[in-house]
Amino acid sequence: MTISSVLLKAVVGGLAVVAFSLVGHAGRPKRFAGLFSAAPSVAVASLAITAVVKGADATVPYAQGMVFGTAGMVAYCLVSLYLIQRLHALIGSILAWLAWLLVAGGLYLALGR
Amino acid sequence: MDGRQLLEDDRERVGFDWSTLGSVKPAELGIRFAFGAAIALVAGVAGAVAGPRFGGLFLAFPAVLPATLTLIEKKEGMTKAWADASGGVLGALGLGAFAFTAMLLRWNPVGALLLALVAWAAVSAGLYFLFRVTGLFLRQDRLVSKAGS
Repeated sequence: MTISSVLLKAVVGGLAVVAFSLVGHAGRPKRFAGLFSAAPSVAVASLAITAVVKGADATVPYAQGMVFGTAGMVAYCLVSLYLIQRLHALIGSILAWLAWLLVAGGLYLALGR
Repeated sequence: MDGRQLLEDDRERVGFDWSTLGSVKPAELGIRFAFGAAIALVAGVAGAVAGPRFGGLFLAFPAVLPATLTLIEKKEGMTKAWADASGGVLGALGLGAFAFTAMLLRWNPVGALLLALVAWAAVSAGLYFLFRVTGLFLRQDRLVSKAGS
C-alpha cells in the first residue's frame, strides 16, 4: 500500500463522510436521520480504493475485520444512549468509544487474528 | 431525555427536507471531513502495518458520531441527540449487513460494493420501520431510561 493510496483513501473517505452526513442532516425524523450516522461512508471509499490498487482479493480481510468493528459500533451506540442521558453528548459519546474498543478489540483478539 | 418531545419527533413523516442544508456551516462540514479522513488514514496505516483484518476494524469506528451528536445537542437539545444515537443502533446493525456482503468483493468488486450498500440501506431502514410500526422504539426508550435512572 503506497502513501499516495492511503492519502487518497483519507480524502475520499472524508468526502464520503460529508456526503452521508448531509443526507442525515436532511433526514426526518431524528431517529431516521440517525441511520446515516452509522452509514458505511469510510468503508465504501476505503474498500473501493483497495480493490482498484491491490485487487479485489485484498479487500476480503478488510471486510472480515469490519465485521468485528461493526459489533463494536452496535455496542458503541447502545452505550452512548445510556451515557448521553447522564453526561451529555460530548463526554458521553467520547466515553462510549471504550465500548467499541472492548467489543471490537476483544472479538479481533479472540477470533480475528 | 424528554419523552414527549421524542414521541412528537417520532410521529413526523419520514423523508428528507433538503432546504435545511442551507443552515449547515462550512466549519461543521470541515470537522466531519477531518474526522472521516483521519479514520480512513488510521484504517489504511493500521492495515499496512498490522494487517488488513486489523485495519478493517477501523472501517466501522464511530469517529464522526461524537462531533455529530455534540452539534445536534448544541442546536436542537439532548433529546434530539439521543434520538440520533438511537437510530444509529439500527444503522450499525445495517453496517453488519454491509460488511458481510462486502466479503463478496472477490467475486465482483463493483457489484459487491453496490449490493453491500443496498444491504445496509435495506437492513437499517427495514429495522427502522419495524421499530416504528411495532412500537419497539417506545420499549427501547423505557428500557434505556430505566437503566439510566
